[in-house]
Amino acid sequence: MPKSIPWWVGGIGMSLLFYLSFSVWGADRPIGASTGMSYLSNMLFGLSPEEYKYAAMVENSGAWEGVMLIGVFFGGLFMSLFVTKSFHISYIPTLWKERKNKSIKSRMIWSFIAGFLLVFGARLAGGCNAGHILSGGSQVAVSGIIFAVVALGTGVITGRFFYKKKGCKV
Amino acid sequence: MESIIKMFTTVSNANNGSVWLVLFIGFCFGAIILYSRLDKFEKMAGFMIFEDTLVPRMAMTTVALSSLGFYFLVDAGYASYSVKPTILGGLIVGGVLFGIGLVILGKCPSAFFVSVSEGRVDALVGVLGGMVGGAVFTIAYPFIEKLIGPDLGKIRLSDLFGGYDLIIVLVLSTVLLVTAYFLPTINYVDPADEIK
Repeated sequence: MPKSIPWWVGGIGMSLLFYLSFSVWGADRPIGASTGMSYLSNMLFGLSPEEYKYAAMVENSGAWEGVMLIGVFFGGLFMSLFVTKSFHISYIPTLWKERKNKSIKSRMIWSFIAGFLLVFGARLAGGCNAGHILSGGSQVAVSGIIFAVVALGTGVITGRFFYKKKGCKV
Repeated sequence: MESIIKMFTTVSNANNGSVWLVLFIGFCFGAIILYSRLDKFEKMAGFMIFEDTLVPRMAMTTVALSSLGFYFLVDAGYASYSVKPTILGGLIVGGVLFGIGLVILGKCPSAFFVSVSEGRVDALVGVLGGMVGGAVFTIAYPFIEKLIGPDLGKIRLSDLFGGYDLIIVLVLSTVLLVTAYFLPTINYVDPADEIK
């Protein structure tokens, strides 16, 4: 088995999966992930829907995405163990070592902050890249287009300031 | 434990497919993400610092093909659009925060689960950060709610132009497919992949 698939195979596979999820033969709804993330975190921190308005709001769609995310984890695990055989414990991505630093502590602190910003930002916007850019874009939703432009634009600008220029030795 | 059972019952009671189907959709989603390497820092963050073009090419292909398919599914009555509301303030502020998080963590919510399943500890820390982020949002929601407007409603591009749905979808997917095809192949080869 090859260790990875090219972009166009990935794109075709992904859109076939989207048809399944979107149509009446599947779940009759588009794929999203960050509402599920929010649901799981409410569950972890014991924020009940009776007490918190937002927990009540994500009660249904969050549960769907929460179950889907469990599937996502096992899908990834299955592939990394049996197909790509890429499972190994690692702490810092290679590109980060090249462009940022080699400190595990720094990577962990930034990961935590970035994870926080990701989910908090996605909740503010009402969706993440799965919900807004992929599912939203596929439905030609105005919200998805605005989100894609703002998020990717900010990402590119932040990347320029946050990471060292190519070829700069530490 | 109790809440996990509640999550599964909520899903099986809702009209959006059986629990097994939802798990299956997630499983495939995770498998495709891992197999195409979308979960890798080098691919996602690398895209935004112009080191890799896998993510934009694959995302463009997905949106182009899905938008065509969705159009015909809805047209034939086998699906219905479920568009997210255009909350301008929330979209812009949220998009900025999300973009910063995306380029630093190098994965999105869902890809970081895939990354964890590959044994990446930094992704696990990112998930924990996300858990805290989600909880803070839930607690702060009554205050945030007042700030995120104005809500322009659940609009699609064809609503702005007053129709022409099929033309918009055709133009959009053609532009995306052509762009994806002609984008240069920039591939970040990770030395960590070569060691076996």
